Amino acid sequence: MNFLDLLTMSVNNLWRRKLRTALTVLGVVIGTAAIVVMVSLGIALNKSYLEDVEQSGGLTTINVYSGNEYAFFEGGSQSDDTEKIELTDDVIEELAQLDHVEFVSPVLTSNIIIKQGLYQADLYVRAMSSEALNKLDIPLAYGSVPQDGEELRYVLGNQAITNFYNAKTNSYPYWDTGEVPDVDLQGDFFVIYDVDAYYQTLWGDASDPESGTTIKPPKKYIMSDFSLVSGGLEEYNQFSSDTYANIDAFKAQLKKVFKNKAIPGQPTTKSGKPYKYWVYNEAYVKVDHMDNVTDVQKVISEMGLQPTSNAEWVESAQKQSRSIQAVLGGIGAVSLFVASIGIANTMMMSIYERTKEIGIIKVLGCSLGNIRTLFLLEAAFIGLIGGILGLILSYGISALMNQFMGSMMSGMMGSTSSVSVIPPWLSLFALSISVLVGILSGFFPALKAMKLSPLSAIKTE
Amino acid sequence: MSETKSEPVIQVKDLYKFYSIGNNKVKALNGVDFTINRGEFCSIVGTSGSGKSTLLNMLAGLEKPTKGQIVIGGEHIEKMNENQLVKFRREHVGFIFQSFNLLPTMNAVENVALPLTFRGMPKKIRLAKAAKMLELVGLKKQCKHKPTQMSGGQQQRVGVARALVVKPEIIFADEPTGNLDSNTSAEVMNLMKKIVREQNLTLIMVTHDNHLASFADRIFHIRDGKILKIEDNTNREVTIDEEI
Ligand SMILES: Nc1ncnc2c1ncn2[C@@H]1O[C@H](COP(=O)(O)OP(=O)(O)O)[C@@H](O)[C@H]1O
Ligand SMILES: [Mg+2]
Repeated sequence: MNFLDLLTMSVNNLWRRKLRTALTVLGVVIGTAAIVVMVSLGIALNKSYLEDVEQSGGLTTINVYSGNEYAFFEGGSQSDDTEKIELTDDVIEELAQLDHVEFVSPVLTSNIIIKQGLYQADLYVRAMSSEALNKLDIPLAYGSVPQDGEELRYVLGNQAITNFYNAKTNSYPYWDTGEVPDVDLQGDFFVIYDVDAYYQTLWGDASDPESGTTIKPPKKYIMSDFSLVSGGLEEYNQFSSDTYANIDAFKAQLKKVFKNKAIPGQPTTKSGKPYKYWVYNEAYVKVDHMDNVTDVQKVISEMGLQPTSNAEWVESAQKQSRSIQAVLGGIGAVSLFVASIGIANTMMMSIYERTKEIGIIKVLGCSLGNIRTLFLLEAAFIGLIGGILGLILSYGISALMNQFMGSMMSGMMGSTSSVSVIPPWLSLFALSISVLVGILSGFFPALKAMKLSPLSAIKTE
Repeated sequence: MSETKSEPVIQVKDLYKFYSIGNNKVKALNGVDFTINRGEFCSIVGTSGSGKSTLLNMLAGLEKPTKGQIVIGGEHIEKMNENQLVKFRREHVGFIFQSFNLLPTMNAVENVALPLTFRGMPKKIRLAKAAKMLELVGLKKQCKHKPTQMSGGQQQRVGVARALVVKPEIIFADEPTGNLDSNTSAEVMNLMKKIVREQNLTLIMVTHDNHLASFADRIFHIRDGKILKIEDNTNREVTIDEEI
């Protein structure tokens, strides 16, 4: 028999029993939709995890801290027994030589104050190499990422303006009244680097407790040309509150400001004299591929440093989302299984009804293989039609869920991603599964039809 | 006619068929031997339950003999498996049923074309052949009729057309007129005989009616699973022809 003839014959047979076919198809529709919608929820969940990770610094970066944090905070004294590994330029260079490491940037952090008119703000500066800054891919509302060799420039976070307070009344307009302070971020600012000295002179305690000399108010530097991260005041991301700068320019500026004095945060000798080298707070390590992050991290911790990355968190989050997906998919699979029993039942009924017909076509010389194919095709058709309709239904449900539950969820979890995502592979997978389920449930009925004796079939009245 | 007579198409040797129902053994066929030649029209006649259908079904490969040989066109039917039997029927055999057994969902021409479908013939060609066959049995106008829209006689004509359309070497008919009144029976019988003659086909027909059996060249009388006598009708037929 031609395949086309087989096809039309089985379609005609289904068409003859419209209502029963429709009901059986309905079972498959529900089963397919159940699987697709359930899995789409799992996929969306996983996707939002990954987006969260992306927001908090990506999947291929490692932040490295010096071996002993606490010693660092205690005025840099090296009296501890544990030998502390500091993040010096040598160590940075060593990190850069590791396998799978694309590049390393030192991170120098420092607090500064900027003032304009009535208002001032404390900023936390993270100075990095321009290579790292470029890699961070900071989205800018205006301005540009500071490059090597340029004058010192800052990139303000999109929420920076909320940190301005009125120095006289000591009130934050944004947090207290919801008003945005009258600060022109594109205008000129005074920048104060020696924050300690500023506060000491401000509170009137203008004498150094150790040397007893009077402290002069620190010098203010006029600066403009600030760049701004894009995003609204309510939009939180990893760039929204910190201030970024080029590390070379920033170091040069600090040297200029503090001259021979110790720069805050930098180690000093016992007599308070600064060392000649820099010690950084962090190192930003960029790894070539997500899969290598854990290995590189291991090597770094063997060096006596403290690496942190999103790898572990991502792994556990993914494990969790996988098990959620399995549970959701399982629920869908059960309903598809029920549908497959429906198909098998329909096919059996249809064979009992058509015993005579099958007998006749066998006597007339229809080959056993053709008979089997005929019934398998019918079952496969039920699966295919059910799969297609189920898929259409799934897209509808998915769209509705994203419409109504999406806003609810984003309010709750702070993520803007959708609740249900149906990628193309899932559609294809669902179609193949429903056809496969059809064929599998048609398999035994088809065998039965094939084995019917033509004689007993003819005798049936 | 005489030149084809010498070539045997069907050879049956020592054929037995037993059914066991509980502890009882029914001897439906109890040792049958005969030979049928190409182009012959044979009828098998006997009372109900004498084993006619059993014999015919075994010749058509629908049932396996308990013992014995059936050789058709040089091939041993009793040794074939289900697949080979279907292929054998598809290529060599046409079948006419007592209860017509047309597929109720198909119209006349589709029913006739059905055996050609199983041979993988393209739709256009097979429908054309079927239409021609229907014309031959006098149902040109009823081409598009469903079985329920036709009389018994018309339905059986469709059945005859369906059996003939594949140009089979052998046609089996089990009580082909059993569901028809006597006038229609005669019509159908004449039709079958005419076509079989024209196309030099071998026809084996089962009937319980002695009159209908007498249409054949040879008449096999069967009782209790045994052939009582084989009546050669050809000479008489010739004399009848001469009288006319
Ligand atoms: N499938 C069967 N099982 C048991 N007995 C059967 C079967 N088919 C036929 N018989 C018996 O075999 C005998 C011959 O049957 P059959 O060939 O149908 O007779 P006929 O066609 O001449 O009326 C009968 O006694 C019948 O009861
Ligand atoms: Mg009978």
